Amino acid sequence: MADLANATEPGLPDRAAPAGASSGLIAQEYAVEPNRPLHGAGGGLAAFMARHHTAAQSELMAVQVRPGWPPRAGALAHLAAATIPALLVPLAHGPGPAGNGGEAYYVICRPPPGPSLATPGRSWSEQELIDLVLRPVAAALEGLRAKGMTHRAIRPDNLFSAGPGEPAVLGCAWASPPGCLQPAVFEPPYSGMCLPAGRGEGTIADDVYALGVTLLTLALGRLPLAELDDATMIRRKLDVGSFAALTGDARVPPMLSDLLRGMLAEDPAHRTPPSMLLDPAAARQRRLAARPARRATRPLQVLAVPVWDARGLAYAMAMQPEEGARLLRNGAVDDWLRRYLGDPILSARVEEALRLRGQDNGEDESRADAMLAMRSVAALDPLAPICWRGLAVALDGVGPAIAAAVTSGPQPDRARLQEMLEVEAIGTWLTGAEGRADGMALRQQARMWRSWLRPRSLDGGMARVAYALNPLLPCASPLFAGRCVARLSDVLCALESISARADSRRLSPLDAHLAAFLVARQDFAGGGVLVADNAAGSAPPPLPVQIAALAALQRLDPRPLPGLAAWLAEQAEPTLQDWHSRTRRESMGRQLQACAANGQLGRLLALLDDPEARRTDAMGLRAATEAVARIDVELHHLQDGSSERAEVARRLGHETAAAAGLIALTMTLGLAALG
Amino acid sequence: MARSRSAAKTTPRPPRSLAWLQGLLCGALIMVSPALALLFGGLLAPGLVTLAIDHIQGKPVARAVLMSGLAASVAPARELWLAGLSLDAALVQLSDPLVLGTAWAAGAAGWLLAEVAPIVVRLVLDMRSTARIAELRARRARYEEEWGLPPIE
Repeated sequence: MADLANATEPGLPDRAAPAGASSGLIAQEYAVEPNRPLHGAGGGLAAFMARHHTAAQSELMAVQVRPGWPPRAGALAHLAAATIPALLVPLAHGPGPAGNGGEAYYVICRPPPGPSLATPGRSWSEQELIDLVLRPVAAALEGLRAKGMTHRAIRPDNLFSAGPGEPAVLGCAWASPPGCLQPAVFEPPYSGMCLPAGRGEGTIADDVYALGVTLLTLALGRLPLAELDDATMIRRKLDVGSFAALTGDARVPPMLSDLLRGMLAEDPAHRTPPSMLLDPAAARQRRLAARPARRATRPLQVLAVPVWDARGLAYAMAMQPEEGARLLRNGAVDDWLRRYLGDPILSARVEEALRLRGQDNGEDESRADAMLAMRSVAALDPLAPICWRGLAVALDGVGPAIAAAVTSGPQPDRARLQEMLEVEAIGTWLTGAEGRADGMALRQQARMWRSWLRPRSLDGGMARVAYALNPLLPCASPLFAGRCVARLSDVLCALESISARADSRRLSPLDAHLAAFLVARQDFAGGGVLVADNAAGSAPPPLPVQIAALAALQRLDPRPLPGLAAWLAEQAEPTLQDWHSRTRRESMGRQLQACAANGQLGRLLALLDDPEARRTDAMGLRAATEAVARIDVELHHLQDGSSERAEVARRLGHETAAAAGLIALTMTLGLAALG
Repeated sequence: MARSRSAAKTTPRPPRSLAWLQGLLCGALIMVSPALALLFGGLLAPGLVTLAIDHIQGKPVARAVLMSGLAASVAPARELWLAGLSLDAALVQLSDPLVLGTAWAAGAAGWLLAEVAPIVVRLVLDMRSTARIAELRARRARYEEEWGLPPIE
């Protein structure tokens, strides 16, 4: 839940770099040397040498974040420069130079003291394991527990030792979503079945489990159950229990065996806490009267896979939801639960899920079946994650799972995750998993995520959810290819430098991804412009909306941006044709150039988005149209009035002749009268 | 009934002929002064002929010829008046080629004016119309250029 909580926090961790990429330093202190890799030191991620810019002797490590796998914002914020023994705590994080000339996101921490413990073929003695691995790692876990954090990356290749006889140190686990690099065997079944990026922060008991598997691996000198695929391995763990499945026929020293029995308990509440592991002798004595899972007298066949207990059935239904829903609807599951498993409580829960399925009859049948399977899984296994159409995601792993799916995941995963959000599966899931979380809060959360998703197209909506739930997920806009823009403050700098490239200026500066990124950052007031315009879809928003959003961003950092302004002005040039008056168009063109040189986007916006000027222009057009209509009528009249003019001329001519005669007559009369 | 009355109201009446009044005046003139009638008859002969052959409404050409002829007949009529309005005096006047030629020439001038004046007026009107068309076209072109309006078809 830490990621979820952090997603809504305004601002960013204190040790985050405000503009690391521009200065080349992370948090304005640490310089990455991307040409000096540290092989095997990043716990599965690429790692490089780093230095404090004022202390050349200080050797540090920069772990590179993999695209689409956001770093753990909560852990980075809470553990920054914390003092926890036997743990590589994060010192800072931010974008820095990458080896390919671009940028990447890094997490800075101390380098490991030596090579990792993943040396194949070597079996550790019980005493070595307890003194050099168990005690120091338990101390580290206790430190993490005190801060409300988890590690979620405990395995031999992420444990390091300075040399023989030296205590182990836990490696970096902050540069990727929790548990995403763990082989499934190191995770409890309910976590191992999840999407790698969707395993969630979990609890310290999950770290204890991973530590137990690590100890067993080191003791055996090989990875247990390595010959099995993940699904078979999880089924084996569910069938016989993790301890029995992992140890199998291997000979495990008695003390270690006792410790592992507690550390690998199925229920996290029953696992030995880290504080107790500091004293292995006492931990060994710990006994919990955990009731073994009820086993059926006859298996239930789910697609030819025999299921013997409720958790096994939940797993089978999670992986095969269509077959599970079919068995639920035809009553086979209910019958099996009552007759062969003898658990009427579970049967009642499944009946409740079926009753709710009946209420969903008006909906899409396939979707209603998926909902039924999800509720039933939650009812059968209280530890199970959210299972939707064959995907499993921990409640607090939804954000990273969506980030991975949106940026680099396979299309089916993305579609299923989107559907999961659309149907508010998280809120519905609670009906089968009562008591595991605050129902009201989660229902509100599910409704909010759906509202983010609803008005947008496939990519835009999911991208917005991904950015909103992952505060440190860099923007995946194609414009930022080779760059790492994870913060609002980096957006304008990146766009300003991109504006120098002629090929980029053909594109829109604010595309759908960037719009989703801006909208998702809830501490950015300008996002409201995009939401109001409802423009963060697949197509770029209209240009005035783009400029309004970027101008709002510039108000946070009012440095002039002549390159970006010129880019926007170029984009705006075609829109000048919308103005009817040629004089105004020419004037606007000149003013655009002036605003671009000025670098203030607000002025550009005021110029382009001027309702009064628009009204004046429209009125001018109307007046011109009317005037032209009058001219046309008169021209028509003149061109067609030849005969009329001839008649007028004839009449006027005759009158003139008559008048002349009359004048002459009058004059002669007058002369005659005068004599 | 009402319909027929309103139809009668709307149908334009043909202009009343004043031929009887002209005949009455001519008859009265012959009765009062045969010499004067003879003089005017001779001097205004072109006008009277034109009056007979002019079929244009209002007989504008005949009016111009008659007016011009009358203007040239004032002096001979005065001479006849001074000579006692005798038929001899009227015949003397009529036999004078200068008097008769002047009166007929005036009538011809009136006719010429009645024929030429419409042509001149037409020329003037056409010139004014052409100038106005040019002015309107120029104004329209300015509107087209400024507001992007389509040209006239």
